[in-house]
Amino acid sequence: MNYVSISIDGKNILAWEGGNLLQVARENGFDIPGLCYHKKLTPTGACRLCVIKIKGQNGLVMSCTVTVKEGMEITAFDDELEETRRHTLDYLLAEHNDESDGTYKDELWDLAIRYNLDKRENRKYPNICRNLDYKKDISSQVLEYDASKCIKCFRCIKACEEVQGKNVLSFSERGIYSHIIAGFDKWIESECDGCGECVQLCPTGALVEKPHREEIKLYKIEKKIITTCPYCGVGCQLELLVQNGRILRSNGVEGILPNDGRLCVKGRFGFDFVHDKERLTKPLLKRNGTFTEITWDEALSLVASKFLMIREKYGNESLAGYTSAKCTNEENYLFQKFVRIVFANNNIDYCTRLCHASTVTAMLRSIGDGAGSNSIEDFELTDCLFVTGNNIIETHPVTATYIKSGKRKGQKLIVCDPKWTPLVRYADIWLQPRLGTDVALLNGMIKVILDENLTDEKFIKERVYGGTDSLEELKIAVQEYTPGQVERITNVPQDLLTEAARIYACAKTAIIATGMGMSQQVVGTNNVFALINMMLITGQIGKMHAGLCPPRGQNNVQGATDVGCSPIYYPGYIPIIDDENRKRIAALWKVRPENLSGKPGLSTVEIVNAAYDGKIKGMYIMGENPMVTDPDLNHTEKAFHKLEFLVVQDIFMTETARIADLVLPASSFAEKNGTFVNSDRRVLRVRKAVDLPGEAREDRQIIADIAEKMGYDIGNYNSESEIFDEIAKAAHIMAGISYERIDHQGIQWPCPDKDHPGTGTLFLERFNTSDGKARINPVRFVEQTEKPTERFPFILNTGRILFQYHSSTMSGKNRTLNQFANKSYILMNSSDMKKFGFSNGDTVKVWNERGELITTLRESEEVAQGELFMPWHFSESHVNNLTRNDLDPYSKIAPFKLSACKIEKIQTRES
Amino acid sequence: MISEKRIILKNAGRINPGKIEDYIAAGGYRSAGIALEKDETEIIDIVIRSRLRGRGGAGFTTGLKMKYTNQSGIISPGRYLICNADEGEPGTFKDRAIMENDPHLLIEGMIIAAYSIKASKAYIYLRGEYFRSNELLSGAIRQAKEHEFLGRNIFGTGYSLDIEIKTGAGSYLCGEELTLIESLEGKRGYPRIKPPFPTEKGLFGDPTLVYNVETLSNLPLIIEHGAEYFSSIGTADSAGTKIITISGDVINPGYFEVEMGVTLRDIIFELAGGIPDGRNFKAALLGGASGTFIDSTALGTPLGYDSLKSIGAVLGSGAIMVMNDQRDILKMTHSILKFFGHESCGKCVPCRIGNSVLTDGMEDIIKRRDKSRYNLDLLIYEADYMSKTSLCPLGQSPVLPLKSLKRYFEKEFRFDIK
Amino acid sequence: MNRTEILNRFRPGRENLLMILNELQNNSPEHFISDEDMREVAHYLNIPLSSVFGVVTYYSMLSRIPRGKYIIRVCRSPVCEMTGSEGILEELQRILNIRPGETTADKLFTLETTECLGRCNESPGMIINEEFYGKLGSDDPGKIIDHLKSGIR
Repeated sequence: MNYVSISIDGKNILAWEGGNLLQVARENGFDIPGLCYHKKLTPTGACRLCVIKIKGQNGLVMSCTVTVKEGMEITAFDDELEETRRHTLDYLLAEHNDESDGTYKDELWDLAIRYNLDKRENRKYPNICRNLDYKKDISSQVLEYDASKCIKCFRCIKACEEVQGKNVLSFSERGIYSHIIAGFDKWIESECDGCGECVQLCPTGALVEKPHREEIKLYKIEKKIITTCPYCGVGCQLELLVQNGRILRSNGVEGILPNDGRLCVKGRFGFDFVHDKERLTKPLLKRNGTFTEITWDEALSLVASKFLMIREKYGNESLAGYTSAKCTNEENYLFQKFVRIVFANNNIDYCTRLCHASTVTAMLRSIGDGAGSNSIEDFELTDCLFVTGNNIIETHPVTATYIKSGKRKGQKLIVCDPKWTPLVRYADIWLQPRLGTDVALLNGMIKVILDENLTDEKFIKERVYGGTDSLEELKIAVQEYTPGQVERITNVPQDLLTEAARIYACAKTAIIATGMGMSQQVVGTNNVFALINMMLITGQIGKMHAGLCPPRGQNNVQGATDVGCSPIYYPGYIPIIDDENRKRIAALWKVRPENLSGKPGLSTVEIVNAAYDGKIKGMYIMGENPMVTDPDLNHTEKAFHKLEFLVVQDIFMTETARIADLVLPASSFAEKNGTFVNSDRRVLRVRKAVDLPGEAREDRQIIADIAEKMGYDIGNYNSESEIFDEIAKAAHIMAGISYERIDHQGIQWPCPDKDHPGTGTLFLERFNTSDGKARINPVRFVEQTEKPTERFPFILNTGRILFQYHSSTMSGKNRTLNQFANKSYILMNSSDMKKFGFSNGDTVKVWNERGELITTLRESEEVAQGELFMPWHFSESHVNNLTRNDLDPYSKIAPFKLSACKIEKIQTRES
Repeated sequence: MISEKRIILKNAGRINPGKIEDYIAAGGYRSAGIALEKDETEIIDIVIRSRLRGRGGAGFTTGLKMKYTNQSGIISPGRYLICNADEGEPGTFKDRAIMENDPHLLIEGMIIAAYSIKASKAYIYLRGEYFRSNELLSGAIRQAKEHEFLGRNIFGTGYSLDIEIKTGAGSYLCGEELTLIESLEGKRGYPRIKPPFPTEKGLFGDPTLVYNVETLSNLPLIIEHGAEYFSSIGTADSAGTKIITISGDVINPGYFEVEMGVTLRDIIFELAGGIPDGRNFKAALLGGASGTFIDSTALGTPLGYDSLKSIGAVLGSGAIMVMNDQRDILKMTHSILKFFGHESCGKCVPCRIGNSVLTDGMEDIIKRRDKSRYNLDLLIYEADYMSKTSLCPLGQSPVLPLKSLKRYFEKEFRFDIK
Repeated sequence: MNRTEILNRFRPGRENLLMILNELQNNSPEHFISDEDMREVAHYLNIPLSSVFGVVTYYSMLSRIPRGKYIIRVCRSPVCEMTGSEGILEELQRILNIRPGETTADKLFTLETTECLGRCNESPGMIINEEFYGKLGSDDPGKIIDHLKSGIR
């Protein structure tokens, strides 16, 4: 970028060429007023407050609509300009209702004070806002609109359209009567999903949040804490407003990545769980089937003695730990250190095994790294996006906003999903394969690419092991997948398949975003191999804005593995089986190498199976809820019941805590310091905003205390920052990162040293394999073993929705989120409804040989015939009663996405 | 005794506007044929040399707009011609006169203009209330296609053009070219920020040439008879003829095509027959609501962009609304201001609130006369502020009639001396 | 033409929104655009509900409320107002016993005002559905209404 030099009121200024004049002026200390301009939005020119003069141009010019040019001479302040601004402000105040409840920042009012118009007697024009008969829209779950406070600046409309890509808002009527609407002038019936971007960008009190309206007073706010959102893996930066020790509001933090102020409904309105009355506040011991409160000292002694006793009696392999993608890196690091030193085994895992394990397995084998190769901005900057098995608008709403921005700039978007997702509305092509036929589809695309010579030969020669020879085996593997054959297997029309293949292969840059739809299958690893094969032969990785990204489901699912919560890796993906590694880690931890086990531990589902088989006898679960999240829950429950001792450390009495022997009250994200790693490998700060409830304790303290009671020293840290420094020593990928460096904005690993800026894009020069080259792993399509039968004629798919999260232990404790969605349901195609005699709203029993559940039937064209879909968040109808634990042989992931079942009406809809 | 000079409306009343054969027999589509044999730069050159200026109101040099559009960007498939037929300026119906009397003339003008910028798609944005025009234009387009004046490979030159009519639905502001483009894109009628101008970034973001109906209808004549012929008609600053629509207190209200340079008196008292019922002339509002008032002292002014400007008036759309000596200037002013208030889109603050301030102020003056807290100077002060700060021409308009009132009718606002 | 037929006449691009709305209204016996119409249009064009609603409420010829068989729109532009359209409007209000914006109980007449109709040479004027009536005198409204009513019988 080039600089241009301009002058403002005689001061010479260097500005970026192409910069916005108002922005440049403000950044250089010229506080030109302006209400409709916001740096995230395209200029509107509506409020007319930012008038300036440009030498050589007639009349007044709105600075927000001017692009700086070399030599421009600007007058920003003189009597005429100030008088004009005062005039405009006086006008605005004439149609404005001055009442304020002190719950929002009012940019208009700030200007009124600045121009001495806050007092009515100084204004020239009679107030007309009462005559306009504006109606309020208070129907929304999350916000209220009051047109009498609206200055019609378009910021909310553009926030919704340009920032969030939703475009839900518009004006209604015209002239002085115009006002903002959603839907048909009734917010709750509109497409609004409650992200609140409009509220955040509203300069006045026209759009305000509904939750906590009565309590919050801006002058009473005691602190504003910047931290990282505890929900999905985007890692949005939040500013929490704390009043009387309670969080009352959450705003997006503008100007820093990954979210640049954007949030979704959960990030903005999902924090009430922190102060929920059901938070655990005392250690609870189960006696005769009921929990009774005990002291911390009793609790810690009990855990220590039980674990010691079990290890004594059944040996080192009889204990296991589940750690949590919800906890911080520091906690997870400490937990794996605890398991490895105290349990002296590697039986540590967490829910990553249930989401992206197959993706990571395939990526590690093919390209040497399991993390997303790109940054969140690349979702906007790439020329083509292939989103597969990934309901990204609902699961990673803020990442999706980048896609929508890219789309507006002409990006090509291919969506591949057996079920309709909201992203389909934006897609150029929607491929809708039958459940479980992804390998056939991808091999079909690969065949088109090979047949039409759309491969990137230079890339294959230079970056792929075996060069062009590596294509030979692939050609054979995909030979049978002609477009016609693929159509027969997948139901995807041939021309769509061919077009999608061409678009992806021919795009200058392309990114694949893969999700649970691909990974949570018996053939999950093969699915991702096929994806990677397509990516490698077209060279859509190893350059900017191209690659493969599996957006992470949980806030710290990336970080937990990064810091060693894995049965096979130490922090930083260092294999435990290697003696040298073990020695290095032992030295860092000040233990003897032989005290660390070199034997790979058990993974999530394997631990449950081992418990079922009586091999695991004691378990320590921190922040996980396998009694909802594991497949085949009846089996899981039986396994846990066989344990001699189960301790669960959590913030709520979860389904898993209920069956524990001892429950320890722990900390939520808002009550501690630490770090999370988001989907684009960005290490982000978590900061304490409020105090712990009751006797609840910080997780790191609990882990350390248990270790101490058991007679072990797992480190003596004065702060979380010191724990992180140890992580940086253990994991090379984070060696250059420290709290100090990420105080303002996170850094993306790999970051090998203190001067390294972090890595936005992986694999630009080499892949993370031993020889630096990527591997093509040809795969073949295998028919699913789970098929619809006469007895179980439907195939059930599971997934997530925007308004709830994971097992809903957190999200389900927010009134606002529950108002959007709080009940389980199952979707069925209308022709199936007709064929089987169901009607919308029927209460149904869904069952198979593994279990059953009861839920409400909804008619929906989002699913194909013969397929059903159910969100899995709701514990009243555990969808995982029906899923299998037939594991993918490579990654041990369970096939949540595909279960044959039967559905029966048990009650007709009450009318 | 002056008479009309019908070179644009030469077919009006002489041919059946529903029959293309009549138009062709009268020499129609010959000009388009000539144009398509020329290079587009040659056409642009002819139009520039003809000195034709936009007939929609602003009076911008027609050929330059063509040139800018033609030079804009690289040749892209998206490049559009839009015929602005959203005739909404009060007192104006010249475009309707053309479309209802000679629709093929407009089509032919559009072929020439579209060819000059290599547009293969053109739109007519037509007022929703012009039902008859819609009927005739739709028929004309259909016939022109049948005769292969539109569609693929016109005159065998390889040039293709499709014309589509889009109707508005009741918004004065959509006659403003950037707002019109928004409306054509299916949006609310909000004006866009300039720059970019439509010639570089218009419809769907592509270079777009927007011409008024009357402007386009001048093109066949210019191409057929040449720039010099056209330029020789009219005055030094205003070449050609102008279709004037005259209404109010005259004996023969209607449309008249006159050579630039005839005086207002000629038009009002000769062509329109003067003031009926033995009344006297009091005022005329020139150029519609966004125009200017004159009194009898200005009647000798010749018709032309610059000559009218010199007396603080505008030619605008060519509307002349005549008021006899019984008419109330204050009520007329109120009527105009109310109109702007009703048509303000509300996007920018000065126009949205200023029009409300002006209407309320004028109402107050009418009601409370010398007791009013408003007076003409205060209204002009507000309107002047509006014109300096508003986003689009609508907010810049009220100052024109108000300032002309100050010049010619200040005494009507002085209640003390009456 | 029913709604689906009208929609299918247009390519599903936003630029056709206004044309579709005009057509839907023209084909509606009650000369209006229903919520259901707006919903279907939004779906067909893949645009948000508010975009359709915003456009319908912006343009003065489009109506969201059912209207009568005859829509009378009296011009209130400066020329017509000067030459007596206010009196015409008052007369119509008296005869029909409704105010502008309202519809008679028998659903026959809706009274509205309009900006300049471009027929100023025949002022004062009004338009009833697509037919223009100009040079109106004070007794014309009564005659015209009677004539329209007799046509219905």
